[in-house]
Amino acid sequence: MTAGSSRSTAPAGGATPAMQRFLHNLRAVPRQFRASLLRSGAPTTDRSRSSFVFGNLFLHLHAVRVHRWTLRWATTWGLGIMALSAFLLTLITGILLMFYYKPYPAVAYDSIKDIHFVVPTGQFMRNIHRWAAQVMVVAVILHMARVFFTAAYRAPREYNWVIGMALLVVTLGLSFTGYLLPWDQLAYWAITIGANIAQSPREVTDALGLTAFFDPGGLQRFILLGSDDIGEEALIRFYLLHVMILPLALAALVGVHFWRIRKDGGMAKPADADERVGAPDVQTYPVFTEAPTRTYHLAAIVRGRTPAVGRGPERTLPAMPHLFYAELGVFMLTVLVCLVLSLVSDAPLKELANPAVPENPAKAPWYFLGLQELVAYSAFMGGMGIPMIVILGLLLIPYLDRETDGTGDWFGGPGGLSLVLRSVVVGLVAVLAIEAFAIRFGWIREWFPHVPQIVITLVNPGTVLTAIYAAYSVWLVRRYDSTRAGALGLFTCFLCGFLVLTIVGTHFRGPNWDFFWSPSQWPVH
Amino acid sequence: MTTTPSGPAGAARSRLEPEPMPRRDFLGLAALWSAAVALGFALIGSLRLPRAAVVPAPSRKFRITLPETLTAGEPFLPPGRSVAVFRDAAGVYAISRVCTHLGCLVKNEASGFQCPCHGSRFALDGSVTKGPAPKALPWVAVTRVAAGTYMVDESTTVPSGTKEKA
Amino acid sequence: MNTLRANKWLLLASSVGTLVLLGVAAYRENVSREWRRLQRDYAAKLPPAQQAAFTVQLRQVYNPALHASDRCISCHVGMAAGETGIKGDRVFGSHPDVVHDPLQYGCVVCHGGQGRATEQADAHGTAPFWPEPMLTRTASVAGCGACHTHVAVPKLDELRHGQALVERNDCLACHGLDNRGGTLRPGGAPGVQAPDLSRVGAKGYTRDWYAHHMRERAAASGGPWRTSMGEISPQDQRLINVFLDSRVGAPRLVDAKAVFHTLGCRGCHKIGGVGGDDGPDLSREGEKDPARLDYTHVPGDHTLANWLGQHFRAPGAVAPGSLMPVLGLSEEQINALVLYLQSLRRSSYPEAYWPKDRVLAQRFGAREFAADGATLYGTFCAACHGLRGEGMRYPGMAAFPAIGNPDFLAVASDRFISATVQHGRPGRRMPAWGAAEGGLRPAEVEAVVAHVRGFGGVAPPAESEPARWVRGNADDGQRLYAANCASCHGPQGEGKEGPQLHNQVLLTHATDRYLVETVRRGRRGTSMPGFANPGSAHRQLADAEIEAIVTFLRTWEVKG
Repeated sequence: MTAGSSRSTAPAGGATPAMQRFLHNLRAVPRQFRASLLRSGAPTTDRSRSSFVFGNLFLHLHAVRVHRWTLRWATTWGLGIMALSAFLLTLITGILLMFYYKPYPAVAYDSIKDIHFVVPTGQFMRNIHRWAAQVMVVAVILHMARVFFTAAYRAPREYNWVIGMALLVVTLGLSFTGYLLPWDQLAYWAITIGANIAQSPREVTDALGLTAFFDPGGLQRFILLGSDDIGEEALIRFYLLHVMILPLALAALVGVHFWRIRKDGGMAKPADADERVGAPDVQTYPVFTEAPTRTYHLAAIVRGRTPAVGRGPERTLPAMPHLFYAELGVFMLTVLVCLVLSLVSDAPLKELANPAVPENPAKAPWYFLGLQELVAYSAFMGGMGIPMIVILGLLLIPYLDRETDGTGDWFGGPGGLSLVLRSVVVGLVAVLAIEAFAIRFGWIREWFPHVPQIVITLVNPGTVLTAIYAAYSVWLVRRYDSTRAGALGLFTCFLCGFLVLTIVGTHFRGPNWDFFWSPSQWPVH
Repeated sequence: MTTTPSGPAGAARSRLEPEPMPRRDFLGLAALWSAAVALGFALIGSLRLPRAAVVPAPSRKFRITLPETLTAGEPFLPPGRSVAVFRDAAGVYAISRVCTHLGCLVKNEASGFQCPCHGSRFALDGSVTKGPAPKALPWVAVTRVAAGTYMVDESTTVPSGTKEKA
Repeated sequence: MNTLRANKWLLLASSVGTLVLLGVAAYRENVSREWRRLQRDYAAKLPPAQQAAFTVQLRQVYNPALHASDRCISCHVGMAAGETGIKGDRVFGSHPDVVHDPLQYGCVVCHGGQGRATEQADAHGTAPFWPEPMLTRTASVAGCGACHTHVAVPKLDELRHGQALVERNDCLACHGLDNRGGTLRPGGAPGVQAPDLSRVGAKGYTRDWYAHHMRERAAASGGPWRTSMGEISPQDQRLINVFLDSRVGAPRLVDAKAVFHTLGCRGCHKIGGVGGDDGPDLSREGEKDPARLDYTHVPGDHTLANWLGQHFRAPGAVAPGSLMPVLGLSEEQINALVLYLQSLRRSSYPEAYWPKDRVLAQRFGAREFAADGATLYGTFCAACHGLRGEGMRYPGMAAFPAIGNPDFLAVASDRFISATVQHGRPGRRMPAWGAAEGGLRPAEVEAVVAHVRGFGGVAPPAESEPARWVRGNADDGQRLYAANCASCHGPQGEGKEGPQLHNQVLLTHATDRYLVETVRRGRRGTSMPGFANPGSAHRQLADAEIEAIVTFLRTWEVKG
């Protein structure tokens, strides 16, 4: 079909065959271009759909076929893709904002004002950036909750859970480093608190008299700020972390996270997923009909089984178009949500940062307000101790829960939904009781002014709450003879505690971190 | 080797056999095209972002007050600007000092202007007398605001020889 | 519906919604922005020839030295470079003629507000989180104080007198001054247009203007030179010069500052490092963030001007815990003071932009207020001691000493008064005004003393004796003191209704003659009786007893 390379010695004047072939090729360029793009032709057959995925540099991270259970909305609610979509939004808007933002204290605030007022779409981009960041944090937390409650962290997916925890930390780090950049009162004082929380190990080393020799708190704070106070060194470090180091780390971890999904055999599914997802749609047809138990070699390098071996009647669908419509749908939904939020609510910008005028109350970003509530009693426990315990606990879950009952089902495992609901009650009652007690009566130092700080470090609302939740969890393990039951109870309690502490820190704490039922009661000045 | 499994007609097909032409997927096409249009609109909208509505540079229009003692042919160089303003019997005029070759600022001499970068020379009225400069120094718009005060607009060129009445 | 269709619907709905919202955002950005509407309105008011040349775009004044990126001219387009103002229009008019070119200085340096903003509420500084709202139209002259921190002002009465003389001598017949005057003759008869005097204080003027006027008058045969000119006495000429020296283009501000320097505010408040320290430093009072003030007792708008005004009327209510008394000021005085306080801003502009007055003051130590005794007294002393040394009485406070009391001045030497001014009364209300603590130079202290001397109309005592000569019995003195003096002066001389006697500055600088004579004669008009004479409320004391008391007082003195 291509124009041949045969020569013709026809005389000049009138279109020669070579000329005709040339013109024909010229006219066919658009069609040929499209065809060259899709090496296997339009993705209308299963074969071409498969090669559409694995033949594409960007798409071949996906599996070629996905189980229909995975595609159900109720399986994942699209939360992972929502988090990724929010990240992409922050990435794009962030790059656009980098055209104008200048990371030096003398000009940072003014550059943000310029973005608001004279950059075309500037205010809109900043709003999207801020809201997409909030959506990302929320989506990441909800995604973690989804994975937990469907027990999707179980073997062989333990390591992916660990990667996910790392992603959570990096996400919070991205949000935190970005918080300082506007260099306004909100930013400056929130990061003052954050830096002092980083220094909180001093509470322990001081109590043990070690600080002169061993001061990890001071070191942490100094590395974060580059100086003793928050100035241009801190700003440039936070900027570097925010635009380069953490996004690259996130991208790398996201890559590993998705690759692990492939290698772990796709999303976690219940053992009877095939039956529950039902008979296949007429549009699909079986794969592996000829020899479902045969082993397949992958490029003859490794002999072994692929994860897809042993599948019975076909329950998978080609990723193109089924998975891609799902991903695109979630992406556009995330875009829509962020746009709505951006149009109705502007990203805040208070007065220029003034080291001489502390904000009162000075509040950390909302996802840290639960911790700040605990920090009010013990800086070390609230700032480092409890978070480390929580992260350690979360990391250990997949290694401690090696049961198989209920994988892939919501609230799967012994106890089920009723256990979770009861744990909600336990979690809420415990945290509300502790908070009410501490707010009404104060805590230890109000009654015993001379008690050493180490006592308060060990006995404070955060540690007491952790102990209560842990005891409850151990009780559940015994009661149900199942680690999963204990884990379900503990995680549920942790979510309730986090929620209530965050709400208290956001709405009920005013100047001097005193308790007020409403901001209208805050004292003037 | 292909086998066509038995069953309801057209129900299941082998992977090696292409599907029949599907009905037009209006919903899918509409969905994909609307997504593409939305994202395309977003892309085009954000293309304007790199160009701010105002830039941190002084305005191209500025006011000057000519010193009384300025003689004909003697240039007045407003500080921080790249024009030379003259006043003679016919009026006030301003000539841009940006060399038309590659943009260096010309220095003024008794007989005109000289560019230090590549040696272009210009007469007192801006015309090229020597050098790689391809065209004359442009005259820029001058408007009288009050006695002795004029508004110079560097962004508007006027024909050579245009003078504003003093 | 199967999942694929559901996802397609999700994609379609989200995309359409996104497109709609992007359209809304695009409309908001490109069509309905406030400044765009305003510029379209402006263009509609232009003559057709100019309409075509006008482009709707953001405009700014950029001056990095003054940190100015002021976009005010995007709405106030009439003031932009190359654009014509529309006469009489509130928004689109041209900028009034002022000393500094707004297109070079920007707008915010004088008016306050947020220059980088392009929305009205943000630009005028009334939106939340902008600490420096724009000055109101009437108070915009207070913006001069940002750079002109040390505008020299004369004494208030000389200023007013000079102004009255200028009016009375019909100078305004030919000279324009502060938007009044200039050649106006009935029937349009030609007059002599003389130079405008509004800014001669800054630009300078010929000092022998009177001689010049007289020469012209002698040479003229008729017309205004003859009819409007008359003789002016040398004292009146001096006052007119004082007035002209103060004409810098901000008449209301100069007047307000002169009022300030008659009320003794600097007795308690420092401005620019000079003043007392009983009250807060006022050097940057005009920069206070209105959002951080307490308006519980301030009626009206939550503005700094309102707060300051109410603070003058009732300081204790507006600022709880304030020591400032209710001064009983008239509304006119309060308005002047509020204007002056709003001008107290120390903006950190580069030295290239420092005006002469600031350079003279900060580099060469010139004073921004007249350095004569009367002005100094009015600036620093009058709030407590009264404009005529009568000693002020404020509700809830002990009376301040009447230093114009003739009985006091008859026994107090200039040296003693000078020492009191310089060193104050440590531990009591009188601060030290010497160079180190209060900032007054020796010559200025002497001028104040001379002014105080003038209150009583009595000559200073002749100090012919040694400073210490009493040789009484200290024990007798102690007894007598306890019986006669302790009730008012306190058992340890710490001071109750009467002044503190156990005070090192007093004891160091008072001569024995001063102490003896004060006890002997008393002070009329105060509770201090003359113990040398009999009286109904006190026992008459013999000279020996008085000397014994003074000897006892001397035992409190710490030598060296």
